[in-house]
Amino acid sequence: MIRFLEFAGRPLVFFVEECGRIMLLLLSTISWMFRPPFRIRVIFKQMEFVGVNSVIVVMITGAFTGMVLALQTYHGFRMFGGESLVGSTVALSMTRELGPVFTALMVTGRVGSAMAAELGTMKVTEQIDALNTMSVNPIQYLVMPRIIAAILMLPVLTIISDFVGIVGGYFVGVNLLKINSGIFIAKIIDIVDLEDIFNGLIKAAFFGLILSLIGCYKGISTIGGAEGVGRATTQSVVLSSVLIFISDYFLTAVMF
Amino acid sequence: MIEIIKISKSFNSQKVLDDLDLNIDPGKITVIIGQSGGGKSVLLKHIIGLIRPDSGQIIIDGIDITNLNDKKLNEVRKKFGMLFQDAALFDSMTVGENVAFPLNEHKRLSRKEINKIVDDKLNLVGLENVTHKMPSELSGGMRKRAGLARAIALDPKIVLFDEPTTGLDPIMRESIDKLIVATQERTKATFVVISHDIESTFTIAHKVAMLYQGKIVAVGTPDEIRSSNNSFVRRFIKDLRD
Amino acid sequence: MSNLSIEAKVGVFVVIGIIILGYMSMRLGKLGFKMDKGYEVKVYFDSASGLEEDVSVEIAGVEVGRVSKVLLEDGKALVILRIDSNVKLRKDVKASIGTRGILGDKYVVLVQGSSAAPLIEPGGRIVSTTTATDLDSLMNVLGEVAKNISTLTRSFANVMGGEKGEASLRSIVDSMQAVAETLNRTVQENNEELVKIIANLSEFSATINEISSKINKGEGSIGKLINEEDTVEKLNGTLASLKEITEKINRGEGSIGKLLNDEETVETLNSTLTSINDYMQKQESFRTYLDYRGEYLFDSNDVKSYLSLRIQPREDKYYLLQVVDDPGGVESVTDITTTTNGVTTTEHIEKKEKNEIKFSAQIAKRYYDLGLRGGIFESTGGFAFDYYLLKDRLTLSMEAFDFDSDSNAHLKFKADFTPFKHLYITSGFDDFISDEGNESFFIGAGINFLDEDITTILSDLPFYK
Repeated sequence: MIRFLEFAGRPLVFFVEECGRIMLLLLSTISWMFRPPFRIRVIFKQMEFVGVNSVIVVMITGAFTGMVLALQTYHGFRMFGGESLVGSTVALSMTRELGPVFTALMVTGRVGSAMAAELGTMKVTEQIDALNTMSVNPIQYLVMPRIIAAILMLPVLTIISDFVGIVGGYFVGVNLLKINSGIFIAKIIDIVDLEDIFNGLIKAAFFGLILSLIGCYKGISTIGGAEGVGRATTQSVVLSSVLIFISDYFLTAVMF
Repeated sequence: MIEIIKISKSFNSQKVLDDLDLNIDPGKITVIIGQSGGGKSVLLKHIIGLIRPDSGQIIIDGIDITNLNDKKLNEVRKKFGMLFQDAALFDSMTVGENVAFPLNEHKRLSRKEINKIVDDKLNLVGLENVTHKMPSELSGGMRKRAGLARAIALDPKIVLFDEPTTGLDPIMRESIDKLIVATQERTKATFVVISHDIESTFTIAHKVAMLYQGKIVAVGTPDEIRSSNNSFVRRFIKDLRD
Repeated sequence: MSNLSIEAKVGVFVVIGIIILGYMSMRLGKLGFKMDKGYEVKVYFDSASGLEEDVSVEIAGVEVGRVSKVLLEDGKALVILRIDSNVKLRKDVKASIGTRGILGDKYVVLVQGSSAAPLIEPGGRIVSTTTATDLDSLMNVLGEVAKNISTLTRSFANVMGGEKGEASLRSIVDSMQAVAETLNRTVQENNEELVKIIANLSEFSATINEISSKINKGEGSIGKLINEEDTVEKLNGTLASLKEITEKINRGEGSIGKLLNDEETVETLNSTLTSINDYMQKQESFRTYLDYRGEYLFDSNDVKSYLSLRIQPREDKYYLLQVVDDPGGVESVTDITTTTNGVTTTEHIEKKEKNEIKFSAQIAKRYYDLGLRGGIFESTGGFAFDYYLLKDRLTLSMEAFDFDSDSNAHLKFKADFTPFKHLYITSGFDDFISDEGNESFFIGAGINFLDEDITTILSDLPFYK
């Protein structure tokens, strides 16, 4: 019995410890955020990496999400003559859910994994120790700019994704499925609130925090050489994605 | 200059350092030798405050660094330069940017002045025309040289070397040894080298400290160590040679 | 693109994002340049049930504005409409609440009046409202009653015309008085109806002129009728029964009588309305908050706690009473003089108290998004600015106090964010120009309750029952 408890308890203890370490990383990141020097250039560099360089993949994802959504809902709504609601359904889904979540997932795959890999490599090749020996705090120099960049850039990527998704939905709905364009847009304006967009953007910022925090955490806690880096990268993507979905539920429950 | 007083450190209940005492003389090259995995790197990381001991004190210029907060520890660390085993150059920066990094962080200098220091330091370690290359384009020996240039960029009083000759071919090993000695003569800084390479050790050291099972078991000049009649020391050297 | 600097790329990227956001915001019409244009007019409805803020105001199906606020005033719903400035409303415009769609969304319908009527000034009031309520139908019934009475008085006037009616006149006048009393009350309750009655009366007097001249000439059936005693008696009987009815009403018999005359009912109704009114107004403005917050100071590894009571009599004003448990504490100097065996020794004790309890008492006033606070901060004088953002969910504060001590003043910057009701997180810099090394970044959390929440929570606890 005791052995069973030990067996069951060990992963639980590990999980709690892991959560604790992630929170500690977050706390020290926040505390380093307010201490000079403020590395604006490093933050900009990360913003470019997280934001600008992800825009194409996010736009493609957003556009096709909107398009497939229009296609799917059209067939559903046509059964009771509700084709006019396709536009607002696409817009509402994009702004509230699919825009933030899909953007976050794409950025996790592209950026979160890169963060884990980059910091992991730096850890195993002692570059992080080197930073320390040069009196540069690695959290301030490496983690904080990444987290700030992700928190700032995810909402921007999301609004682009929202827009492109709605445009994609419009293209499919109006040009291919011949829904009246006036009604398509009027229904969007009628049903979608500004709050839907803003809440989606707040979500996106949270997701940005999650994916960058997990990516950095997995990176700087990497052990075991190149193999360890690979492991850290995979774990960061899986853990970030899962946490994004879980937190999405709770954020939705709180906001809408 | 550097006093290590009774430090102990365990990882997962395995004792790596055990009440270790060591004094390191200023302005000299001290080599700490010991077997791989014998806690040499751990000792070195203690000296620069990357690892905190379970007990004991490490006193740098009269300051006990074992209980300093980050801010004060960073001040102490500005006296240090460190060359890591694989040089630990930042992959994302050119060699020049790597050497300039500590200068940019801690000195208020113009770009021109920084460039001049970078060129000086790279010349000092015998590197030319690599300023704009990425670390991945360099050979292992060149990376070590660049790493040393970065370590001495701020003209530190203490330079630490983690296995400087590991993973190099014999010719390269010799040239690095020469570089260490030459650099020390020019900078007059305190050099602390950890190594398991007995030949290099005898070439470069002013003083040799032997680390065995978490303790310093013998300290002396290379000649003293070489000619020691102590059977333990002889066996130790023989083991390392093999 | 690749030869652009990183900053430029990020800048362009962010600007594109903001443009898209701005475009979408404007298209959705809830924000943007439309805001704050136009002018406000007030309208009172008996019930604004289902009417939400920001729903549309329409004339002939065209949106001309939005509902900007729905408030309660004197037991009526005060609805403030924001009308586009290019739409001019006449004084006699009629307002009503319309219903749209299967979900029954409410909106405000205006029916423009005659073009001769003067315009409503900004801030003015729309007088005429139509709402299909019970009270309204009651008014309609009363109007009909008044019409009937006017018919009766017409007959009565006919009697006055004859000489033989003289004897019955006294009793008629008596009945008349009773009727008039009832009428009076009715009339007082409804001015509009009075106007109608007067109109009827003037019409009637014109008729009576005509008739009396006819009677004088002995013409027509009435002329003949009033000379017959039999008729007069019948009329008398009718009036008597009318009197009886009105008396009954007066005495409060029958359902209408009860409704109109029962003092108690009226009083109960009145006091109910007043107390509802008071209650609602209290709810709207007077609030008491109980608040606890803890701040973890990074540089000293301590927690600074605040327990505060916030009394808010008005939306834009509050009083704050606070107990602060400060781990930094204050320095105190004490002289202890002891006399032992005639020898006097003075001990000079200087100590840095840990866990000092301090008090704050402040008064705060708010102007739009900016709040000012002044009073006692942690047992010293000071003042503070608060800036409210995101519908008050984010508050940025800068406090300055402790000016009189030798060291630098105590400055504190903090940001409070309330993601959920009752719970908030806080972060900032405490004492950041301290010359005693007290400066510290902090992060913390707080919990606050409104007085009614506390009551609810207490009454839900099992031991309270």
